[in-house]
Amino acid sequence: MQTTRRTALTAGLASALTAGLPGFSRAQAAPVIVGTWGGDYGELLASNIDVPLLRPQGVEVQQDVGPQDPRKAKLIAERQSRRGTMDICCLSDVDMYTMAQQNLFEEISTANVPNMVHTIPSLRRPYSAPHIYSAKVILYNPAKMTAPKGYADLWDPRLRGRVGLVDILYLANTEAAALVGGGNESNLVPARAKLMELRRNDVKLYPSNEALAAALKSEEVWCTIMWLARGFMWKKAGIPVQHVVPEEGATSIIFEMSVPKNSRNKEGAMKYLNAALDPRAQAGFADRMGYAPTVTNATLPPELSAQISLTPEQQARLRTPNYAYTAQHSAEILDFWNKEFKG
Amino acid sequence: MAALVLPAGLLVLLLLVAPMAMLFRISLNEYSPTQLMLEALQPGNYLRAIADPYYQAVMGTTMTVAFSCTLLCLIIGFPAAYWLARMDSKRKSLAVILTVFPLLVGNVVRSAGWMALLGRDGAINATLRGLGIISEPLQLLYTQGAVIIGIVAVVAPYMILTLSAVIEGIPRNIEEAAGNLGAPPLTVFRRVVLPLALPGVVAGSVLVFILCMNAYATPVLLGGPQFKMMAPAVYDQFVKGTNWPFGAALAFILLLVTLGLTVLGSALLGRRYKR
Repeated sequence: MQTTRRTALTAGLASALTAGLPGFSRAQAAPVIVGTWGGDYGELLASNIDVPLLRPQGVEVQQDVGPQDPRKAKLIAERQSRRGTMDICCLSDVDMYTMAQQNLFEEISTANVPNMVHTIPSLRRPYSAPHIYSAKVILYNPAKMTAPKGYADLWDPRLRGRVGLVDILYLANTEAAALVGGGNESNLVPARAKLMELRRNDVKLYPSNEALAAALKSEEVWCTIMWLARGFMWKKAGIPVQHVVPEEGATSIIFEMSVPKNSRNKEGAMKYLNAALDPRAQAGFADRMGYAPTVTNATLPPELSAQISLTPEQQARLRTPNYAYTAQHSAEILDFWNKEFKG
Repeated sequence: MAALVLPAGLLVLLLLVAPMAMLFRISLNEYSPTQLMLEALQPGNYLRAIADPYYQAVMGTTMTVAFSCTLLCLIIGFPAAYWLARMDSKRKSLAVILTVFPLLVGNVVRSAGWMALLGRDGAINATLRGLGIISEPLQLLYTQGAVIIGIVAVVAPYMILTLSAVIEGIPRNIEEAAGNLGAPPLTVFRRVVLPLALPGVVAGSVLVFILCMNAYATPVLLGGPQFKMMAPAVYDQFVKGTNWPFGAALAFILLLVTLGLTVLGSALLGRRYKR
């Protein structure tokens, strides 16, 4: 065919137009959008999942980084929309359950995510993949106080002004107070009296985990209620803390991933979940962030495992939040925390 | 001519009025812990917010902080604005750039700077301890004072620029005439400059007051977990509590109170101006 000026111009125009329409020219390469936390977590997702496991499969990943609460709000705001902005949504277990009650997520099973077969059965949910997990423990400064046995020891008047809590972990703190007051996962009401008691004992409240870490480091406070994994990270960062598994029983926290029903790239999203459960990816999170693998086929070096895992006896006494109860009473719990405890 | 307003009018309608209308509709819904929202047309959320002593206190704190910041901005801003307005044009552009300089830094970054200054191990405490003035660090961060300082630092440029634009319009020879007639400088300011600058005082105060009433980042970062103003309380309901109907009602109450106080303040000051 002879190339005239007109055909050359037409071809140029056509290619310019298609380049501007990614839907036509790059339909196969639509990235998987992962709604996730930033910092170490986001970085580890990229270095353990995105680059080594998914890129070779031709799956590109883009992170939509932000805190958990705005991500929940985004899910709710988009629930009527046919095309959502996330393909993967990362949330902690209680929030994931609450959102799943709205029927927002695709069903996850071994049929669409083959690696689900290796997950610890007690961590499996029909609406999400358990990515990493840890347990709620007590962190204390051994140079300043004797090791507490359980949460109840934090109410000791001798620790007046030396117990620090994080504001955003109000649910976890409320649950610990309920256990001290004789309640359990299905009855958090006894937490109220115990929290007010703690307030009278001049408990210090910090807006973020980082602010509490600074207070522990400067020895402004000596002990707190925190995830074992974060304690592991803080120890590595030189913060003078040891952990104790409370005698009331440690409560699990699972960080889960789900695929919103209005995801635009479900196929890529399922591949992403499968890669997240890959033993190689799981080991990376254990080593740097101290979160235990959720799959049985991931092996950790024994010394690392000893630091971030529970003993079989502690594991047997691991408590799970009552998701339905918590979801039902979340507004009251937050109200009490804001108005009475902090007020 | 009216047709010229149409494009801007439509844009405002689409981007401002429509979301507000949606939010208002949500505020009349009922909260459900399991279904998030139940369609309803009831004023329960508004009644609860108005009757609840906690939210009354939060609104009280918000108004106290907003009034204090506006007054402080006025006291600090007037001399600065006067100086700026009377400056020769060569140095003025540099002074204007310096005035707006704080606005070039984001709220969060600016608050981080204040945290480094006011924290327990911050610059102020470290200096005072180093000088032997105090033995235990002072609680400067997470206080109402810290929030007021932080907000004033953000909004002062708005007050200064608004006032200076108005003061520039006051001919210098009026002040000189008053001086020639025997008025001491303070009387010139009280009887001549201030009344003539009153439109600027009203505009600057309104602008600053609205910004203070709706402040979010500064109260959260410098006020700490126990300090509550309305904007963070609205955010908490939407995002932490997933109680959108109540959050929407709180947002509208904040809007109406801000609007009411602004109109009232402008009317009172405006009446004085007419006299």
